[in-house]
Amino acid sequence: MFLLRRLRPDPNSPLVRLSFIHFARWTVVKRIPHNEGQPREKLRYKHLFFESNFNGGWEEYIDAFSHILTAGMTKLWGSSYGFPKPLPTAPFKDYIRRNEIEASHFYSAYPDATKSMVSAALDLDQKLAAFKARACDLEPEQFSREWRAFLTDVQADL
Amino acid sequence: MRSSNESGQAYAFMAMTPIVQGEESDLRSYLEGIPRSSSPLAKLPRTHFARWVILEEFHHEAGQRRREQLKSQYLIFTSNFDGPLDSYLDELGEQLVEEAGEIWGRCYGCPRPAAGAPLKDYLLHNQIDTGLFFAAYADATVERVVASLDQRERMIDFAVETQGLTPNELQRRFRQEFCP
Amino acid sequence: MRVDDADRGRVWLRDLLGEVTNAQAWNGGKPRTHLNLAFTYLGLVALGVPKPVLGGFSKEFRQGMADRAALLGDTGQSDAGQWEPPFGSGQAHVLVTINAVDDDAVADRLRDLRAQIDSDGGLAIVYVQHAHLLQGAREHFGYADGFAQPAIEGTDEAAKRVRGGGVPLKDGGWRPLAAGEFILGYDDEDGSPPNAPPDPYGRSGTYMVWRKLHQDVALFRRTLRDAAELYEDGDETKLRAKVVGRWPDGTPLVTSPEEPDATFEPNADGSNDFRYAGVDPTGGRCPLGAHIRRSNPRDALGWDGLLSFRHRMIRRGMPYGDPLPDEAVEDDGAERGLVFVCFNASISRQFEGVQIQWLNDGNIFRLGHDKDFLMGDSTATAKMTVQGDPPFFLAPQPSFVTTRGGEYLFVPGIAALAAIAGGA
Repeated sequence: MFLLRRLRPDPNSPLVRLSFIHFARWTVVKRIPHNEGQPREKLRYKHLFFESNFNGGWEEYIDAFSHILTAGMTKLWGSSYGFPKPLPTAPFKDYIRRNEIEASHFYSAYPDATKSMVSAALDLDQKLAAFKARACDLEPEQFSREWRAFLTDVQADL
Repeated sequence: MRSSNESGQAYAFMAMTPIVQGEESDLRSYLEGIPRSSSPLAKLPRTHFARWVILEEFHHEAGQRRREQLKSQYLIFTSNFDGPLDSYLDELGEQLVEEAGEIWGRCYGCPRPAAGAPLKDYLLHNQIDTGLFFAAYADATVERVVASLDQRERMIDFAVETQGLTPNELQRRFRQEFCP
Repeated sequence: MRVDDADRGRVWLRDLLGEVTNAQAWNGGKPRTHLNLAFTYLGLVALGVPKPVLGGFSKEFRQGMADRAALLGDTGQSDAGQWEPPFGSGQAHVLVTINAVDDDAVADRLRDLRAQIDSDGGLAIVYVQHAHLLQGAREHFGYADGFAQPAIEGTDEAAKRVRGGGVPLKDGGWRPLAAGEFILGYDDEDGSPPNAPPDPYGRSGTYMVWRKLHQDVALFRRTLRDAAELYEDGDETKLRAKVVGRWPDGTPLVTSPEEPDATFEPNADGSNDFRYAGVDPTGGRCPLGAHIRRSNPRDALGWDGLLSFRHRMIRRGMPYGDPLPDEAVEDDGAERGLVFVCFNASISRQFEGVQIQWLNDGNIFRLGHDKDFLMGDSTATAKMTVQGDPPFFLAPQPSFVTTRGGEYLFVPGIAALAAIAGGA
């Protein structure tokens, strides 16, 4: 059908640099398992299921996919019926709206945090641990200098 | 179990279970009625993001020659959590006893009671393997994410409040706040 | 104005049609006044615009600004429940804008307008707002404003404005924006005309956002004065510039981070020709969250501006109220602020996108939930980081700006106005 490769979060990959997706997945549903009592189901087509946990506005998100992940979008969705090209954005957005399913219940362990906040917090955590290790027992003047350097180093995380 | 379900220590689980004919709207009402602020999934602290979605039918696109006509509606459960899968489903089987009956209990083949090992087996039986899983911070557990976020807030407040303090005072406050 | 009688309202509109300023070139020099018309959704309903046409207007326009106020960050003292009447009450139907060379010209035109309304009946004036340019074309916080505008393909000014006002290109050049980003009926940046009501109602029209923003100038001055005590030996002027992203004369911080450029002339060719990504990616010159960097990031969001170019607006705001004397740091209770006006083809993508994602949040700039320190949302701004070695932090503050009221409006083209007046 199409190639599904392992997706490692390479810091330079567009998905990572776009910085608003926490987790995303693409799954091909080829067959539905059978259970007792269930009317037998035989799928005529394979179906692509896409789920994303992201921040920001829906429009901005789709625009980013259209303009920036253009090649990736085509590769992943190119073999789906009705998929228009990712650009122009209007038919692409219509395609997504037509095929979107709303969740009946959604849960997040940290609903207020954006993906870049999480990354910033994790980076800060690492740097703070290193700072504490070297600075907690210094003389105040020296501590002050180290603090200034630390703050300069982590300002993008705050 | 394919490794494509994993990224770092994060796991992407999906189960698709057929809803008993006639139970669809009750299930939907139940799920939609769960208040955001008290989700049963909070009882599974290794869960980053999870959802229940009801699939009524596949949308038919122009160009498809034949219609995909599903014989049942399906309940899709997805969860992004700290692995491994095995112990997560054990926890689910223990913690979601009440809710599982109301949710998966409305699906064909669900064990009664919907709990413990039988529920775990049921979900595994209905698991759909992930094709491609992207996790932006694949090695960070929920616990670490939450603790780091909280620490970041405290650090921001600290940096703002201690601007202009003498070195002595700054160090004293820092020790108090961050060096227990 | 409020329309009380659809038939009489349309008669009035028909009578006024000939006076509405259009795009024709001026033969006899600059006219004394301009007059333009815009309508809220309820205004179009009140004038009897047919249902199938009404359905063609955008969802956010039909909902109206008051219903979306919370989304826009108008909470606390800016809450729509506290807006000045008639804003958000459903009684604001028609906006008549008179632009004039001086106060006398405005007064004359307004008098004629009132006379016409009295004689035609069917309408009532429910609100009058005066606004006027301040000395040096500054706004009330003291900053040169309004000179940075988008360069639009096909306009006379496109060539002049394109360097800085257009879309930044990879090679350092710029290109103008498609007209359809601002005017319905023309191709937009997506390559097709934007969603619009059916012809002739949509053609050559645009959506307008009108907001009355009260500015607490004294609070702004006091706050920055106090915060500056700890900043670089008390350089208040520089700290203020860091919040805005420009020096008071309009010099951009990113091109001139230490002091204003004495040669800077806001209306000169290329005065707006600057960008951020190459020269200031970490905000050491112009902070990542500075007001102008937030409201028009240019290439700062990466990918050569691909995430920003569809969120531009034509701004035509103007200050209202008398200036607070230069040295005053206590409020005198007078009404002053900005009548914010912008034009765009999509209120939700352009105005609301900027307001919600870029001003009232910091995520896209990797600033967490930090808000624009100048405008913020009314439940108190979060902190602001002034990037540097070391960084400087502005503590969260009560807002300097309060929304007194506003409306979403539609500005019909000439043919559309005739259609509305004709009741067709």
